[in-house]
Amino acid sequence: MEQFAKAAISILFDGVAYAMLLFIISVGLSITMGLMGFANLAHGAFAMLGGYVMVSLMLKAGVPFLLALVLAAIIVALISVPFERYLYRRLYKAGELDQVLLSIGLVFMATATITFFFGPSTVSISVPEFLKGQVNLGFGIFPAYRTFTIAVGLVMIVALWYGFERTITGAKIRAAVDNRRMAQSIGIDVDRLFVITFAFGSGLAALGGGLAIEILGMSPTFALTYLVFFLIVVAVGGLGSIRGAFVAALVLGIIDTAGKYLWPDGGAFFIYAVTIGILLIKPEGLFGKA
Amino acid sequence: MIPALETRDLSKHFGALYVTQDVSLRLEPGARHALIGPNGAGKTTLINLISGALSANRGSVLLGGDDITAQSQAGRVKRGLARTFQINQLFRDLTVVENVTMPILERSGIGRNIWRRASTFSHVLDEAMALLSQLHLHGDALTPVRELPYGRQRLVEIAITLGLKPSVLLLDEPAAGVPSAESHIILDVIAALPEDIAILIIEHDMEIVFQFAKSISVLVAGNVLVEGTPEEIAENQEVRAVYLGVEADG
Amino acid sequence: MTDTPSDSGFTPDARLYFRAREGWRWAEALPWIVAIAAFFVFPDYMALGTQILIAIIFALSLDLILGYAGIVTLGHAAYFGAGAYATGMLSAHLGWGEPISAMLFGGLVGAALGFLSGWVLLRYHGLTLLMLTLATAILLMEGANAAEYWTGGFDGLVGISIWPLFNHFEYDLWGHTYYWYALAVLFCCFLVARRIVHSSFGRSLVGIKGNVNRMHAIGTPVHGKLVKIYTISAGMAGIAGGLFAESNAYVTLDVMSFARSGTVLIMLVLGGTGRLYGAFLGTVVYLVLEDELAKLSPEFWEFGIGLLLVVVVLFMRGGMLGALDDLVAWARGKGKP
Repeated sequence: MEQFAKAAISILFDGVAYAMLLFIISVGLSITMGLMGFANLAHGAFAMLGGYVMVSLMLKAGVPFLLALVLAAIIVALISVPFERYLYRRLYKAGELDQVLLSIGLVFMATATITFFFGPSTVSISVPEFLKGQVNLGFGIFPAYRTFTIAVGLVMIVALWYGFERTITGAKIRAAVDNRRMAQSIGIDVDRLFVITFAFGSGLAALGGGLAIEILGMSPTFALTYLVFFLIVVAVGGLGSIRGAFVAALVLGIIDTAGKYLWPDGGAFFIYAVTIGILLIKPEGLFGKA
Repeated sequence: MIPALETRDLSKHFGALYVTQDVSLRLEPGARHALIGPNGAGKTTLINLISGALSANRGSVLLGGDDITAQSQAGRVKRGLARTFQINQLFRDLTVVENVTMPILERSGIGRNIWRRASTFSHVLDEAMALLSQLHLHGDALTPVRELPYGRQRLVEIAITLGLKPSVLLLDEPAAGVPSAESHIILDVIAALPEDIAILIIEHDMEIVFQFAKSISVLVAGNVLVEGTPEEIAENQEVRAVYLGVEADG
Repeated sequence: MTDTPSDSGFTPDARLYFRAREGWRWAEALPWIVAIAAFFVFPDYMALGTQILIAIIFALSLDLILGYAGIVTLGHAAYFGAGAYATGMLSAHLGWGEPISAMLFGGLVGAALGFLSGWVLLRYHGLTLLMLTLATAILLMEGANAAEYWTGGFDGLVGISIWPLFNHFEYDLWGHTYYWYALAVLFCCFLVARRIVHSSFGRSLVGIKGNVNRMHAIGTPVHGKLVKIYTISAGMAGIAGGLFAESNAYVTLDVMSFARSGTVLIMLVLGGTGRLYGAFLGTVVYLVLEDELAKLSPEFWEFGIGLLLVVVVLFMRGGMLGALDDLVAWARGKGKP
């Protein structure tokens, strides 16, 4: 019995760590999709870019892990600005089809570029000593890196909550998600808001990508492989909802991890069945606006 | 006489906000009835409730004496109820004649035919062209709608509903967006509509309303404030206060 | 044309206009001539040629719903895959290998699945529909993965053995038989598709794509019509899948993958949607380029196709055929005084 409980806790812990990665990467997509109504399938490419920027910083420039993580997020956020300015902006009023095709095109270009410079195989980094091995949390002994990932995820959700609910910019974004025309008419500079949000979301994705190297592995196919998961988190959680993205990531992360242990063949089937079920009943997602 | 269209205590609310409250209207066959009221009075909502685009929370809609409250939008159209939109809802990339064939195809059930070539239904095309002539649109028959000036697009909007051969026609601000110098063209067209069609018109242009309507209902905050002939409405102090007064000031 | 035509003199014009649009043009013989010529010019490439023809059928089926009814889907491979597995399993498990009936069975299964899923999915639109089609296709793929006993799971379905066509024409190593077979099937599918889009039903689909609010307001049973064309499209995708299973004698989970759904969408958009021939041009260009470029450098190919997509979305909304139309219109405009 105790054996079983230990296994269950271990699965749950892994699941939560995975969920945090999904959340950190997807929440930016959720906000941008809710705000701009843009079906951005290239969001995962920014996460992948974050991973590779981090690898380059650490291996080529000898930047330490934590600093590289932060720098990767900032660099990718800056890189994403011209994409919003010159590509995405032109298609805000276009249909989903054009948005999907444009962003898929960007994913292909990103994948090819990364393959060209880094090769097709998985890259890895060496994490600092304090993130290696196990750590005792009082109620059990857990892998240090996953504990760190969960801690970052929790910090992010608190920071996001604070930023969204307590700052002026957050209030503006919430207003614009709710009703863009109204926001515009009360003098909010929506264009600027879009750039800021897009860069912020891409930076978050990059942060998640950097963290994911050690857990999910990082290769040029990352952007496409995990795309469906990011989309599910966003759609099930509800566009533009931080709380929704968090809940959806948690559910997806835990079910997926548990499924891999308990029901290797049919676990994924279960996830998609649940996703379809939720969307059929609540097309706007669990926490989306109707 | 059985009214062509009747609503009984029609009500609609979104949460606590009542946009339509106990509206009871009666249109005899061939009626020319106008619905006026300040912005936000719930006029378009009422049209949506009657046409079935929205479902009412309470009350009923009767067409020719039959209760159609439970009918879908499509079912109501089949029974002879047609509407226009305040903002053009056209097939912008299609030609004018194609726009007008759409309702004829649907009305006659030919739109179900999956095999026979559309061009071989020549009576459909003839009917569409005849309709266009009636509205003096035949010269533009082969022009894509998006290339027409807005005023003529408004006529296409009306032509599409006429293609349904309705017994009751709901006109939602037919002259909206049309330069006032051209609004008489729209008025001429609706004045020349077949007499047996019962027409409910929403319009802001008081000139059109008073020229066209034989009876008027004034809607304020989802309620029918008063109903009467144009003369009675023009004389009514309450109406002047809440509505016409506002118009005069603006 | 005069500016003030008489009322009576104008009606024939509209008829001519409609008839002209539906009538065959000389240029329409071109793809078929090319297909037949290809057999004699590139006899060694007929295996690739067969795959191209199959992909054209698949893209054509997508054009019916995307180009004419405006349904955006990221999961059309579900029906291709269902057809492929149906045809393959008919042979592998039940020992029935008659190619034409087995292929039609694939189409039937695709259509049945299209009807069932379309009935539910087509009540949704926008991003929700996008997600639902995507998830449905992956769900089906995971289902096929889990049903290993029937589908062979991850290792693929083996043991497909197809009888000679008309009991006479054997499958040959160079793929010559299958090239003609696939070409004939494509021609039939094309005739059906062309007939449908020019029918009254086809016109009302264009209406739904153009303005669904208006179609509701004129009493169109929108959902029913969408389900109808979705079912036909899924059946055609199933036929393509059946052909695929027969020509490869092997089916893997890849037939239902997101990649396949995405690729067919890209092919169609590159060629141009809503014009039937876009499926032909887009597929040929995509697959030939892939075959040539991917051999040289896979990254170069992937980058190129990505760039092409971006360019098409930003500057060539009608795809290659749309650009061709614009070019012709421009040249004519220049030719006029």
